[in-house]
Amino acid sequence: MKELFPIKQVNGFIFSMLLTVVALSVYFLDMSFELGMTILLITAFVQAAVQLVIFMHAGESEDKKAIYTTTIYGLIIALVTVFGSLLAMVWGYM
Amino acid sequence: MKINNTQPLEYSTEQNQLNILGFWVFLGAEIMLFATLFTSYFVYENRVGNGPSGAEIFELTPVLIETILLLTSSFTIGLAINAMRLNRKKAMLTFLAVTLVLGLAFLGVEIYEFTHYYHVGATLQTSAFTGMLLTTLGTHGAHVTFGLVWGLFIFIQIKKNGLTPATTNKSFIFSLYWHFLDVVWIFIFSFIYLKGMM
Repeated sequence: MKELFPIKQVNGFIFSMLLTVVALSVYFLDMSFELGMTILLITAFVQAAVQLVIFMHAGESEDKKAIYTTTIYGLIIALVTVFGSLLAMVWGYM
Repeated sequence: MKINNTQPLEYSTEQNQLNILGFWVFLGAEIMLFATLFTSYFVYENRVGNGPSGAEIFELTPVLIETILLLTSSFTIGLAINAMRLNRKKAMLTFLAVTLVLGLAFLGVEIYEFTHYYHVGATLQTSAFTGMLLTTLGTHGAHVTFGLVWGLFIFIQIKKNGLTPATTNKSFIFSLYWHFLDVVWIFIFSFIYLKGMM
């Protein structure tokens, strides 16, 4: 039975639950928008990294480099699209 | 077919390795797809017109239930892959079944949420904000629906054929997809719901 619940994955699950609780603090505690967004950015990206490395085994095969390259490439395009558009269409007119 | 026994079964042939790498490339493209949806959502977030704003229609309880369901299902599919690598077919199928049930429950809560939005007058045509909200949530929900069907077929195949290089490869790729949906949900939870209710 014990080998069916590897400690690494159990810890990863507990950690992701904890990160969710921390993220929830922005709802229950009274804080500034900037502080709230900082907390959310940190908890979301850490949580994504936990999934990627612990649960998706991104680094275990010989294709490790190609896997990280394609993920990071997707991520860079994603960030440029989101923040570039916000810069050009929202923040510049506030 | 050349079988390499030093690797887990799902990596054991060259074709299997290429399938997994190819799926990661697909996930890279999926990241960009969801990025465009998030972009449109953030740009139109405050364009509520005569319709409701996020703070007025978001409910914490269903969203929290959805988050816990999806996080737990992501954990159980991880356990399924672990059991698969130990060659424990029965345990693997149990964890896979739990994953699919949790996914189905997630979908149920999301459907409730969508009817709630409809009843409070937040439809696809109400405003730029509600349109993009429902498109983003709906795209994720459609992915989960597709995943449920996919997972069901993998369940049947393993039950019939056992843990072979082919079925383990499919299961592993399915687990990547399922974890990815969880990652997308974390961003929806943080930057659509919590940000909207802050």
